[in-house]
Amino acid sequence: MESFPQTLEALPAEPGILKTLAACVAGALVPGLGHALLRKWDRSLVFLGSISMLFALGLYLNGRLFNPDFSDLFSTLKFIADAGNGSLYWFSWLRGLGTGDPAAYTFDFGNVFVYTAGLLNMLVVVDAFDIAQGRKQ
Amino acid sequence: MNNHFLLMIVFSALVSVVFTFIAKNGAKERSKYFLYLFGSFVLLSILVGWLMYPFPF
Repeated sequence: MESFPQTLEALPAEPGILKTLAACVAGALVPGLGHALLRKWDRSLVFLGSISMLFALGLYLNGRLFNPDFSDLFSTLKFIADAGNGSLYWFSWLRGLGTGDPAAYTFDFGNVFVYTAGLLNMLVVVDAFDIAQGRKQ
Repeated sequence: MNNHFLLMIVFSALVSVVFTFIAKNGAKERSKYFLYLFGSFVLLSILVGWLMYPFPF
């Protein structure tokens, strides 16, 4: 026969789906905002500062923001990595920033900075998901 | 800002601090882990760069 929890504390706390969804969407839009919603202020500030700085440096170093282009695998992957920056990418792209200069000395560096910022932000969203689900503190 | 080494240091520091805050809690633990990651980034970059030096890429 299945045993039931004898105390209220023994019942598993159900993670809030809305809270998890809000944290993930917010984190995907603005780096660190998901953690801010979860009241992880130190992480939120560090993620916002570091990822924004990587992205801004990437543009400053003549990196390119790749367009939504799904014609081949590498173009798709470049776009996905760039778009991981969320609103940073979309606002910059819509304003015509990040045209890139392949002849510039730092073109490749700039691209790597922007890709890495986007990929790190995806990881940060996964971290916000884990925290919202109560899997980590 | 055309100094490759400086760019690599800045990149390593920013990426290391994000990984540190994802992986660790507590100031002391974070400090140690950040130094470990940052040092690994810098030393391994120099090592790989040195190993790639003879190749005509």
